[in-house]
Amino acid sequence: MVEIMKEAVFGSMKSIYSMAIIVVPLMIVLQVAKDYQVLNKAADLLRSASRLLGISKTAIFPLLVGVFFGISYGAGVIIDSSREGSITKKDGILLIVFFAACHGIIEDTLIFAMIGANATVLVLIRVAAAILLTYTLSRRMDSSKAVLHKPKEENI
Amino acid sequence: MLVQSIRTGIKKGVETTWMLAKIIIPVYIFVTLLKHTPIVNWIAYVFKPLMGLFNLPGEAVIVLVLGNVLDPYAAIGAIKAITLTQAQITTLAVMICFSHALIIETAIAKRLGISILMVSGVRLSLAVVFGILVGKIGGLLW
Repeated sequence: MVEIMKEAVFGSMKSIYSMAIIVVPLMIVLQVAKDYQVLNKAADLLRSASRLLGISKTAIFPLLVGVFFGISYGAGVIIDSSREGSITKKDGILLIVFFAACHGIIEDTLIFAMIGANATVLVLIRVAAAILLTYTLSRRMDSSKAVLHKPKEENI
Repeated sequence: MLVQSIRTGIKKGVETTWMLAKIIIPVYIFVTLLKHTPIVNWIAYVFKPLMGLFNLPGEAVIVLVLGNVLDPYAAIGAIKAITLTQAQITTLAVMICFSHALIIETAIAKRLGISILMVSGVRLSLAVVFGILVGKIGGLLW
């Protein structure tokens, strides 16, 4: 019993240490990127990608925030943007679908890679699935405009 | 400004590590203890057919349940406590990345006014479809 408890305690401590040496540098990099508004600049470069996903050009920024920084930040930016009216209801739905397949990609990938998962497989599958899903849904929403007119403002 | 950013980054890093520790340590201890009881054999036996779809051992169901009910970090604690191959860890990572923390994250979707059923449905389907795919391909390659 003592042996098992030892295994459990030391094993978990070791895991935490190996997490910390990834998480702390990562958070520094992400914070610098956020403060220097790297994603605003990246969003300008990626404007043409918005057509592929069927979202407005202004929705690219919240998309990048969610994909790189995580879903809570992404959702925060979506809520702000939709209050300002710079993104539409359709953008909001498409972004959430994109995030359902793919968000917080840097942190998740690093942490899972550290415990032995294949990072390339992980990133490629998530991004490909997210693009495919969003593309398909946006085309379907175009053909059935009804979805867009459902009033649901009180939630936003 | 750079110094300030780095300082905030370190603070966030430490906070995140602390948050991870609070989840991973108890889960790791719980799963390690569980591993030494007959319960884990029973779980492994019952879920063998289902988890076989993803080329995973039956006890890997613990990882999926913890990941979906709690969060990916709980899943990581469990992965580390169970013996798995690299291909199996990749399969689990893909599945958990698609579908995790369903309770918390659907709350976020709800705040945006989007159907919880739809979001959870999409995420679980992605996890199952790609879990089978990666599991089968991983089984062939390794």
